[in-house]
Amino acid sequence: MNTFVNQFSTHSAVSQLKRAQNLIAADEDEYSDATWGSQAGFGNMIKGTPNFTVPAVPDPAAFLRLHTDDHADPNCRIKIQHGTTTLAFRFQGGVIVAVDSRATAGSYIASGTVKKVIEINPYLLGTMAGGAADCQFWETYLGMHCRLHELRNRERISVSAASKYLSNLVYSYKGMGLSMGTMICGWDKTGPAVFYVDSDGTRLKGDLFSVGSGSTFAYGVLDQGYRWDLTDEEAQELGRRSIFAAGHRDAFSGNTCNLYHVKEDGWKFIGNYDVSTMYYDGPGDVPGAPGGGYGYAIRTEGRSAADPPASS
Amino acid sequence: MSIMDHNGGSVIAMVGKDCVAIASDLRLGNQALGISSNFQRVFGITDRIYLGLPGLATDVNTLRERFRFRVNMYTIKEEREIEPEAFAHLVSSTLYEHRFGPYFIEPVIAGLSKTPTGGIRPFIAATDLIGCINFAKDFVVSGTASSKLFGVAEGLWEPDLEPEDLFETISQTLLNAVDRDAFSGWGAVVHVITKDKVITRKLKARMD
Amino acid sequence: MAQPSVYRSPGFDFSNQIRNNFLSEKGLPLPNATSTGTTIVGCLFKDGIVLGADTRATEGDIVADKNCEKIHYITESIRCCGAGTAADTEFTTALISSNMELHTLSSGRKPRVVTAMTMLKQMLFRYQGHIGAALVLGGVDATGPQLFTIHPHGSTDKLPYVTMGSGSLAAMAVFESGWRANMERQDALDLVFNAISAGIFNDLGSGSNVDACIITADNTEMLRNINLQVDRSNVRPPKEREYKFRRGTTAWTKEDVRKLIVEEDITTLSSTTGAGDEMDTS
Repeated sequence: MNTFVNQFSTHSAVSQLKRAQNLIAADEDEYSDATWGSQAGFGNMIKGTPNFTVPAVPDPAAFLRLHTDDHADPNCRIKIQHGTTTLAFRFQGGVIVAVDSRATAGSYIASGTVKKVIEINPYLLGTMAGGAADCQFWETYLGMHCRLHELRNRERISVSAASKYLSNLVYSYKGMGLSMGTMICGWDKTGPAVFYVDSDGTRLKGDLFSVGSGSTFAYGVLDQGYRWDLTDEEAQELGRRSIFAAGHRDAFSGNTCNLYHVKEDGWKFIGNYDVSTMYYDGPGDVPGAPGGGYGYAIRTEGRSAADPPASS
Repeated sequence: MSIMDHNGGSVIAMVGKDCVAIASDLRLGNQALGISSNFQRVFGITDRIYLGLPGLATDVNTLRERFRFRVNMYTIKEEREIEPEAFAHLVSSTLYEHRFGPYFIEPVIAGLSKTPTGGIRPFIAATDLIGCINFAKDFVVSGTASSKLFGVAEGLWEPDLEPEDLFETISQTLLNAVDRDAFSGWGAVVHVITKDKVITRKLKARMD
Repeated sequence: MAQPSVYRSPGFDFSNQIRNNFLSEKGLPLPNATSTGTTIVGCLFKDGIVLGADTRATEGDIVADKNCEKIHYITESIRCCGAGTAADTEFTTALISSNMELHTLSSGRKPRVVTAMTMLKQMLFRYQGHIGAALVLGGVDATGPQLFTIHPHGSTDKLPYVTMGSGSLAAMAVFESGWRANMERQDALDLVFNAISAGIFNDLGSGSNVDACIITADNTEMLRNINLQVDRSNVRPPKEREYKFRRGTTAWTKEDVRKLIVEEDITTLSSTTGAGDEMDTS
């Protein structure tokens, strides 16, 4: 699986960073324009943007499209982890961010303890769906620029500006195989804010988003229970319950749920909840939980004709 | 994505001391979507033979009925209960009949056969989807989690396990393997077949 | 009125073909059947034939069976090694074995290897390579020792030493350098052993143990796992520790015990009490 990747060993994270650093200093003229590929007229605006080495072929975007995994062509050679459920919603008390923790490679569950919430800075959270490396790298990079913004302008960047920065960045690499579906969440002058940004270049402002293979299941619970005037406890429970539903039904989501709550003074990690424990026993002693397991079989035990109450 | 992975599900069988065990998960899925957590794919053929049918769910039901018919015909004609070895060949030839249009099932057979001296001998076998039998002395696996089951079973199985120990070993093997497989899980069931009884237990498994 | 038969006509059943073609047209690939990556060989020696085979069966990159039998029975003095799709070699040799028995019974003569070879090639040719059996057929009959290879499409070779399967190149290298005409029995067996070993060690599709079969005019000797007598370095050592779980480790929710021994309590009604409750059997 790695052989193809190794052929382009300059693509490894370390060498990419080194290359990016060298490029800032070096004279770029020794490389032909084709080496850089399309920057969509954007890449050279900021000297600090990492310039990724792209394959030295006439049309690098077409070349990468041919070999890189995306929803348009599932049969390509570079596989990126896809199954995920992430959600974020805005309400009276801030923003709730909840994600699962499963990473799959085909049918193999590669990990059950993935951190899919990226802590960009104390006021901004990003979620991870699609390419783990893409999300991690670019959202960390976004954090760097948010800090620069703070230093330049003596005030925190708005969620809107931060998300727009990210969407412009990924748009400049459009068609080259970046894969990310993320929600940038935070609290700024305008109050709680959630933006959906993906690698196609889409950027949407909204109250409620869910991304990933399990998003339909999460939306089902979320839509049913969502109100603007949810209390903090109710909102946290709704996030947890939605991720549970997705983790239960979707083969590519599950293991545990990570829950975050963004308020005016920054984000707070609420907890980590095992999906199977929630099925049998519920999330434990947490405010907002109804008590008892979430599982259908647990809630209906001894209450239906198919599963009658134990006699005597 | 193969047709074999469409509905998900896995089965494993193990040999113990004068006993055999067969275990399976209970998931029925439609690709990534879980549909049922109570889908039986292990069936009793006689008192002492159990058959696991992991693969495409439509063929699970078709083959189950076909084998029921063929075993009944065998019992009527021979006027005796079928032995596990004979049943394995019955399964094999039924599948090979469909060599050029196979059922998408890789069966697992577990049972106790009678020895000429009146004793019993544990028997397990698995076949591929066109009926090539694999007689094993230790364990056989099949289904979407088979590669994971192979690994865990290779590490945990040991010879001459008593029924209660075999139950723990096969249960832990199945549970830990399906927790690494996206298409298997959602509950599990274990049958331990001994000389005088069959113990069936539903396991408390991860539900994600 | 004609009763519908409960028996099915013999031969292949193509009833699932329409469905399966539909599925593969939708882009779902047909799953792999068990195949024997395999090294199989045969060679002529002074008094007869030695056949050899490894014992690995694979399903993709998984070893499905570590000790399977690839030398199949045709008749008492004819045996056949099989490579390719495992189910095909198994059933093809079983069918030809059965037909050879019938042929022997009807002709009243000892069966010949060419007969088996012709039956096999005609069957494989009829199925145009769709039956994926690559065979090494050897035996001794009235015409002396005979050795053939049969390819999946039905072509055959008659040679003094032959190899087949994915390890055939490794095995043939050994034969080319070591085979001589009119070898002694033990030398021929050693050569076959070395040829299969070459396949086991150099070909990923072959592995585990060496099986051999020595066929002479008056005796057939089937030797299973002969490598284990030489060295056991290829054998997995026994585990040094136990991996038993403490009883009660696995949580379960429901138990059902089915007793296979029917217990009957027989209550005898004594007639000496004379209460007159017994059944009147007069």
